[in-house]
Amino acid sequence: MTGSMLSSASVSTPVTMGEVRMGRASRVVTAGLLLSLACVLGLVEASFAAPFAGARLGLANIAIVVALGVLGEAPALAIGILRVVIVGLATGSIFGPTSALAIAGALAAWFAMTVALRSPFRFSYIGISVCGAVAHVLAQYVVASVLTGVTGVLFLAPIAVAMSLLFGIVTGYLARYIISRVEVSHLSGR
Amino acid sequence: MTQADRALIIVIAVLALLSGPVAVVASGQASAATLIIEGPTGRTEVSLGVDRTLVVAGLRGRVVVEVVDGSVLVTSADCPDHVCVHTGAISRPGSAIVCVPNAVTVRVGGARDDGLDAVVR
Repeated sequence: MTGSMLSSASVSTPVTMGEVRMGRASRVVTAGLLLSLACVLGLVEASFAAPFAGARLGLANIAIVVALGVLGEAPALAIGILRVVIVGLATGSIFGPTSALAIAGALAAWFAMTVALRSPFRFSYIGISVCGAVAHVLAQYVVASVLTGVTGVLFLAPIAVAMSLLFGIVTGYLARYIISRVEVSHLSGR
Repeated sequence: MTQADRALIIVIAVLALLSGPVAVVASGQASAATLIIEGPTGRTEVSLGVDRTLVVAGLRGRVVVEVVDGSVLVTSADCPDHVCVHTGAISRPGSAIVCVPNAVTVRVGGARDDGLDAVVR
């Protein structure tokens, strides 16, 4: 079911900028692999203690950046949202405020990375990853302050953004390395 | 890493560093912490900045709330176990003293400044 959702999403967007020309079957397989990678990385991250309240390593973003580069925008969005659902099921936090934050973060990250990819500036995967990491953190802080009705949490955002900048650079390098191995991406030089 | 990447990273870093002091200044201007007392007879909000003694009517008797130097404590209460008295003084936003037998709660209001309510990964 997951695979058919992803492939139908990708069929509706012909050849967008970040896509690799590959057969339908290999697209479905790649999408499934990236989704499972995103879930595993998300679970691994959930077992770590956060270095700072609100900051996160953003390991799962590696898979989303790779999906954006190899499969395109729509599959990357599908993987990002499905990841939140599956990790929510696995950790038992689905339908809770945690998942609301995670969904907001995933949507914001995808949107920021899509904008960065389409922008006239030539961002490499490091820049795209940084956009995603920072947007993810900011969206979580905004939603958290709305959910709790307390704007005080926003005062912690600058530190979290600064940390997400570092993590975004690291995950960007990792994503670029993976994309260079996935091959035939005309963006692999980025 | 391209030039666009470096520019983006520098811009975000500068914005984050600048917004830190701005946030501190803004939080300094926020109104001083308030004290919210809720009991069977109603709800009162007073400033934590002024020292005073308040006597609250509870279900079983009186609860004496004292504000001293920006913190608040219950000095005496007509209740059997005196959990509220033993709680001691509180001052941080979000912390509270509760006297269950008298149905009286004393909370420090205002924005939390010490962290988050929950951590999400």
